[in-house]
Amino acid sequence: MKTAITIAAQEWRYWSRTKLASAVALLAFILICTSVFATFSQVAKEKDTRETLQIKAEETFRDQPARHPHRMVHYGHYVFRTPTSLAALDPGVDPFTGTVMFLEGHRQNSATFSPSYDGAQAGPFSRLTPALTYQLLLPLVLIVMGFGVVAREREAATDRQLVTSGISPISIWLGKTLALGSVAFLLLLPMLAGVALSESNWSIGLGFFALYFFYVLVWVLIITAVSTWSQRTSVSLLILLSIWLILCVLLPRLVAGAAATAIPDTSQIETDMDVIMALRSVGDGHNSRDPAFDRLKANLLQEYGVKRVEDLPINFRGAVAQAAEADLTAILNEYADKRIAGQRVQTQLVKSYEFVSPFIALQSASMVAAGTDARTHHRFLREAEAVRFQFVQDLNKVHEHKMAYVDDINRNRDTDAARRTRVDSENWRVLRDFRFNADPADTRLERLFSSYAVILIWLMVFAIAGLLGARRLPEVNHG
Amino acid sequence: MKKITTIEAENLSITRAKKVVVKNLSFAVKQGEVFGLLGGNGAGKSTTLLAFLGFLTSTEGAARINGVEADVDPAATRRAIAYLPESANLYPHLSARENINYFLSLAKVKSSADDIEMALNQVSLAEEARDQRLSSYSKGMRQKVAIAVAILRQAPILFLDEPTSGLDPVAIDEFNRLITKLAKSGTTVLMVTHDVYGACQVADRIGLLRRGELVGMFEATNDARISVDEVHQAFASGA
Repeated sequence: MKTAITIAAQEWRYWSRTKLASAVALLAFILICTSVFATFSQVAKEKDTRETLQIKAEETFRDQPARHPHRMVHYGHYVFRTPTSLAALDPGVDPFTGTVMFLEGHRQNSATFSPSYDGAQAGPFSRLTPALTYQLLLPLVLIVMGFGVVAREREAATDRQLVTSGISPISIWLGKTLALGSVAFLLLLPMLAGVALSESNWSIGLGFFALYFFYVLVWVLIITAVSTWSQRTSVSLLILLSIWLILCVLLPRLVAGAAATAIPDTSQIETDMDVIMALRSVGDGHNSRDPAFDRLKANLLQEYGVKRVEDLPINFRGAVAQAAEADLTAILNEYADKRIAGQRVQTQLVKSYEFVSPFIALQSASMVAAGTDARTHHRFLREAEAVRFQFVQDLNKVHEHKMAYVDDINRNRDTDAARRTRVDSENWRVLRDFRFNADPADTRLERLFSSYAVILIWLMVFAIAGLLGARRLPEVNHG
Repeated sequence: MKKITTIEAENLSITRAKKVVVKNLSFAVKQGEVFGLLGGNGAGKSTTLLAFLGFLTSTEGAARINGVEADVDPAATRRAIAYLPESANLYPHLSARENINYFLSLAKVKSSADDIEMALNQVSLAEEARDQRLSSYSKGMRQKVAIAVAILRQAPILFLDEPTSGLDPVAIDEFNRLITKLAKSGTTVLMVTHDVYGACQVADRIGLLRRGELVGMFEATNDARISVDEVHQAFASGA
């Protein structure tokens, strides 16, 4: 091991004296620090803003004056998806999916306000998150620094000099791997600092960092293995750049494209058109005379033993509003579930290709660990919908029980009736607090096991490739 | 005192890419002797050196260092040898002192700063050059650093592959003097070269290789060095 450390120290001296390597490492460090700091402060600000706005939205709803409950159904309410702590390092799908939902009666609105598409943050650099910097750019930096670690020795025949000095080829490979690995670890320090500062749960913080540590180690082993097998530094660089392009750019794009082709995702407009068609089978909840509610009317008249809706002890219009909302929500949920299921299959399909690229494996796993994956966003949508349905139906119950049917139908003609249909603002307390949280750390860690396994397989493959390459040192070409 | 055999090729044959490069080669070099393997391009000189270093496997016979077969225990044979290839393979971004320190630390040889200075004095490397990076060195200066490493490693055997190729006459003279000095101190030297004059200057014996076969052997006497004319004639005539 001492020999490997001596060789690693020598490689560090080479880098410190080679202006290109030093400059690349320094620039990479600055870029990573900038990316971590910028995303960290941006997400921290977003988190504060959304938490504040969530409380404000709830207070605003509950502070509304006395009024007809159906006006509150349409007044609506906002829910915000608060970013997780680790979203500061990997915002995942958050910048693209929308983070705010307006909840109102009879509709399931899409999430809006996507930071990547809105305001000053729009543009190509809005996506230069720490996660992407580490997943995409760090391997490139390591390639530029390490393509020649062993190939350079071979090209200059210093490998022969080392071996004749009694150094085993394995020690040369180990020393070079140690040198490049230590550079990689130094470049991971901003990520480690980001994790330590943002995540209070050490197990998920460590699990998140370990993913990046092993991923970077895979690249260190790829680079040293290729450099060990290459006769020339130029060949090593060419091969490594090709590998980077294939693993980090082409394959992820191809896999995403294949998933989209295999499971076509219907657009929001298409879904909306289908929903409109399906909703025609449900009556208009605002019109209690709609034939769609004849059965409800008959059932209620029978239940209460009266002949006219005016004689019901409840407000028939409130009952209609409840029934219509339930039927309509069932249809909306059916389409939403179908859409989410399709997207989930797409995500699963992409994840199933993690064996072909460590980039794909890390990208999926990183979002899971950070709680910023598509599945978490889908849960946000469903939890928001649950809040919407609950407060709308609770208001419909107020509508049903806290006013007379006659007053309700005459409220636009009779000011006294209108006054009597205004219910006290205490009733707006039906709105429950909404605080969205990602899955607990244990659940997220359990979901990471397969990704760890894949990355460890990549580690083993390239460690073996490097060791086999080292056995060929030094190359004997002439005699 | 009887000198022991340190380098021995016994019916050594090496095939590379289905071609016999060294054929039935036998010679022995005793401690403190300078032995030159002389031959033209493709004669199998460097191949023979690489076989002793354990980088090439013999197809027949054996290459031994201190009685140990290089095929069997290459690490042991390498430990006994300091190898100077045609172009000294050192690190251009390091100074002479840094190169020496690096190779000695890898070889786990402890040397003081004074030892290093002494070795550099011995190879006559200019003092002002010792802290300069080797990228600014001439070939002769790099050779001197490589020899200093060999001296400090205290390896009992020195392998030289075309050591004077590309050196100016002054550097060649200095180099030859150094080799002679090392041999006198007990270092065994195996030198492969196509430089007839240089070989005759320093070698105690010269083996002439042609197409992998030993075709002639010349020996210096106590009174006279090997005759350049005699060797040159044999080299040129194809004897």
